[in-house]
Amino acid sequence: MNESLEQIFVKQLKENQNIIHKICRLYTSGEDAHKDLFQEVTIQLWKAFPKFRGESKFSTWAYRVALNTAITLYRKSTRSISTVTFESRKHFISQEEYNHEEEEQIKLMYEAVKQLNDIEKALVFMYLEDKDYTEIAETLGITEVNARVKINRIKGKLKKILNP
Amino acid sequence: MEELDLLKKAWQKDDHSFAQVSEMEIYKMLHKKSSSIVKWILIISILEVLLWTTISVLFNIDADLKKMVGDDLIIYFKALNYFNYAVIIGFIYLFYKNYIKISTTVSTKQLMQDILKARKTVQYYVWYNLGMITVSMFLGFAMAFFFNPQASILKEKIAHENGNMTLVITVCVVFLTTVIFVGIFWLFYKLLYGILLRKLNNNYKELKKIDL
Repeated sequence: MNESLEQIFVKQLKENQNIIHKICRLYTSGEDAHKDLFQEVTIQLWKAFPKFRGESKFSTWAYRVALNTAITLYRKSTRSISTVTFESRKHFISQEEYNHEEEEQIKLMYEAVKQLNDIEKALVFMYLEDKDYTEIAETLGITEVNARVKINRIKGKLKKILNP
Repeated sequence: MEELDLLKKAWQKDDHSFAQVSEMEIYKMLHKKSSSIVKWILIISILEVLLWTTISVLFNIDADLKKMVGDDLIIYFKALNYFNYAVIIGFIYLFYKNYIKISTTVSTKQLMQDILKARKTVQYYVWYNLGMITVSMFLGFAMAFFFNPQASILKEKIAHENGNMTLVITVCVVFLTTVIFVGIFWLFYKLLYGILLRKLNNNYKELKKIDL
């Protein structure tokens, strides 16, 4: 019984690992820290898995646990500003769509997002994932109106970082 | 915000840039130990219970007390002891309840509140023990003063002295010892939780600011 639960979990996680990688990359700098956070998220997901009833998609359930782990449970500071140059070419643009100007803009924007604090990053993450405000508010435990206001403020802040 | 939407477009297509973790690696991760702050708070709670229980066993002076104060007063000390055990069991229950309540599937704010509550309970436990120690120190001092034959020299000195110099000095010494003792503990916990929960506290403040 237990073993099959483990098998189900491992399979699900493997299929949905990209969303967790996205959070790890947003909250850490460097490969080791990324792996470390990924592991902690995996442990937390596994701990919570027996209570996962499949009411939501595995990925939806998993990204919430992952965000909570990154913001709250994970001990190492995630606010250190990235010293590793971000390789956006490799990360975001596939060869056929290569457009130098656009690529540069995306790269700068991602670097700006990485300078935000943990909570702001969570909001941006959910915005980028195209979550609606109800879900964003519920995930963080804030009101919907304030989630909307905050995202607008973050957009302003990002603008300021990009054009000081 | 054109750039953020550009990023959004790229973000949602971005599913091929991560080194994929294999099933085997995930299995291995499941059996590794968590290093989350919740785990640290649990470890600290257990250490606290062990520490204070050890201290109370090591400094158990029931036999000496009995010799000193006789059977009449010993009953009060026994009652105090049982009260102390009941409080400790109560705290262990609270630690356990707090710990199992912490879940990563609730909202971020709720999770933070649950962790802070768990931490506060540990702190109350420490304050309770420090309070007990302070009370015991004063009681012990009073007992020694009134019942220990060796204290008679001190008593005589106080009785024959003009003014209260010796009494004042004695009280001051006891008081200072207590303050320093409690102060050291206070500093230690301030530092411990300060380091452990700095990030959580900052993020909690940040999150609360949004709903202001």
